[in-house]
Amino acid sequence: MLVAEHLHFAYPPPGPDFPQTEALRDVTFHLETGEALAVMGASGSGKSTLCHVLAGLTPRYTGGRVSGVARVAGYDVLATVPPTGTVGLLFQDAATQLFNPTVEDEVAWGLEALGTPPPHIGAQVEEALARFGLLDVRTRSPWALSGGQQKRLALAAVWAMRPRVLLLDEPLGGLDPQGRAEVLAALETLSQSSITLLLTTFRPQAAALAPTTLVLADGAATSPTPTAEVLRDEARLVETGILYPPKLWPAMEAHIVPSTTPAIAMQDVHFAYTDGHAALHGVSLEIPQGQFVAIIGPNGAGKSTLLRHFNGLLRPTRGTVYIHGKDVAGRTTGELAREVGFLFQRPEQQLFAATVYEEVAFGVRALRLADAAGRVERALARFALTAFAQTPPSILSYGVQRAVTLAALAALDTPILALDEPAVGLDGREWARLLAWLAERRAAGVTLVIVTHEMELAARADRVVALADGRVVADGAPAEVLG
Amino acid sequence: MSVALDFYVHRESWLHRLDPRVKLWGVLVGCVAAFLLPSLSVQGVLLLGLHLLLLGNGIPWRVLRGLWRQMAVLIVLIMALQPFFTPSGDPLVAVGPLRLTVGGLSQAGLLATRALVTAFFIGALLFTTDQRSLVQAFVRLGLPYTWGLTFSLTLRFLPAIQQLFMTVREAQAARGWVAEGNLFRRFREYLPVLVAVIIGTLRMSDRLTLALAARGMAAPASGEGDRPPQRTVWRDLHMRRTDWMTWIGITLALLAVSFWRLVFGG
Repeated sequence: MLVAEHLHFAYPPPGPDFPQTEALRDVTFHLETGEALAVMGASGSGKSTLCHVLAGLTPRYTGGRVSGVARVAGYDVLATVPPTGTVGLLFQDAATQLFNPTVEDEVAWGLEALGTPPPHIGAQVEEALARFGLLDVRTRSPWALSGGQQKRLALAAVWAMRPRVLLLDEPLGGLDPQGRAEVLAALETLSQSSITLLLTTFRPQAAALAPTTLVLADGAATSPTPTAEVLRDEARLVETGILYPPKLWPAMEAHIVPSTTPAIAMQDVHFAYTDGHAALHGVSLEIPQGQFVAIIGPNGAGKSTLLRHFNGLLRPTRGTVYIHGKDVAGRTTGELAREVGFLFQRPEQQLFAATVYEEVAFGVRALRLADAAGRVERALARFALTAFAQTPPSILSYGVQRAVTLAALAALDTPILALDEPAVGLDGREWARLLAWLAERRAAGVTLVIVTHEMELAARADRVVALADGRVVADGAPAEVLG
Repeated sequence: MSVALDFYVHRESWLHRLDPRVKLWGVLVGCVAAFLLPSLSVQGVLLLGLHLLLLGNGIPWRVLRGLWRQMAVLIVLIMALQPFFTPSGDPLVAVGPLRLTVGGLSQAGLLATRALVTAFFIGALLFTTDQRSLVQAFVRLGLPYTWGLTFSLTLRFLPAIQQLFMTVREAQAARGWVAEGNLFRRFREYLPVLVAVIIGTLRMSDRLTLALAARGMAAPASGEGDRPPQRTVWRDLHMRRTDWMTWIGITLALLAVSFWRLVFGG
């Protein structure tokens, strides 16, 4: 049903000075009807490329050089477009594949494209929504849903077309723990059905859904092996960058005595968005210099809103925010950038320069910092980006893009770091780099404020602040707050 | 995440259920009537009628107030400038060559109410018709499906592009970018943001192309060389008795207005 034989693929180089490197190298596997295969690999190992080639999208829409065999349900997808409904693809970033005004229209769109008789569409939409737990949001806009719901909707829309082969590219990618749990539950029901399934992931929980797994590393694949066997070999998974070595944690746990001088102080901060939605209700916090604070709480608790007050991206509706003892009112975000380094969610939306080098150099130049070239070179080396210095950031994988945003921050060397979900979507190798950098910053006495859903990281903080409905509901040592 | 550019207010009312083709016809006739009927009082009655129609069909007052706010600048501009361009009758105030007259004020009032009546007719369509039905109406009136889809995707992506602009601007500000100085300098400062937004928009469009192709857009029905399957439509539009009655009513109104205009000449 799904065949890859000696499959090679190379994207067109982004410019004449770039060598053409292979994204897939000699990938071979066979999948019979109803079988499931997990493809494990670190970020940038070729997982998405493999899915796009098998779905018949690459090189048809992207260009590039391909050789070997890729066959889906008997169709040579390298030579012909497979008929509608042969193969379904869940994209890594589910939001990009949603384009209809309501949830139920999104599911119906593919059925209409298949030419399904209208009287049957309603029932099939209903069945897909019920299967993926979306009946209660059927009339809502897809863009108003949470990340987990969007992923389930994209899955429902693809599944409703009853494809003979289903390709899931990083189904848990970019999701917080709640979203991951939602999607994992949906995938469990799929893996028990008779659909032929290929899923890519770097998460062992997702790989465990398939009986066999192949490991991709720099485009080259191992032969399919029983998943239990692959997951037992932790050393190999660490070596390929899928998992991170547990020995990294002790450096984060180093006890550093924070100063008594506050780096950040918030006094009775209230904030409401222009649509009237009140996101913060009288938050007061004092964070001493050098303290590592983890901010936790459910989606919509006000965590990102709180963080955005530290560098003036948001201004309190009422109350005051002080950075190093000075009121932020009247200071622009650009001015505050000297003191507060800010990391946003979704790295792909905040990269704007022509090359990785320019991206990292942007802030250094804007703030006219001394030793600009040295700062940029060191930051690129810190995040293993030197080889990508002249590459456009937009063509990099999610994990490498995240590394670029971290390098851009590292080059500024600010005394306060405010990081919004820095660990979401990172594979083991990227986690390791992030943790090593955070440990180094911590040892250097930098104040760290990190919004996170990763409880392993929060447990290593000096202090955990829990938010709910825009209020601080717990504030104390990790052992007290996390239990 | 951005949401689509959507004015629809979800309700179960007679106006919501009315076939969107009839509503489109109503908007067209309403706008024509607004320009054929010269009397300020008739325009006022039309405006009042539209408010009652919308409120009676579940559109909350805050939505109507929002439309008034959107129109406020245009109305103020019309009332401030128009009287001086069309002076007629006795002057109320004269400053140099500028004359404010009763006739000029009356003309400005008429133009302002016409603009308001047109806006509320269009509002009546957009507040009570979901995007899918609206696109479906255009397709049933002869627009190719791909054009309808393009229209719908444009509505989807305009706010996404606006969101992208905000995100890039925030990301640059967070790394020390400050736009200050005179207008020219500010424009130059904004250039990197605009370039990033253009690149981001192109990338968004690439991803959308892949998403549409992956969901079977233009794929063959069964094999190579085969045509794509004929698209079907879930919840297609059907003219019911009420729709036909309303259509006839609107058409009679158009005839009446035209007759009145021909006979009495406005």
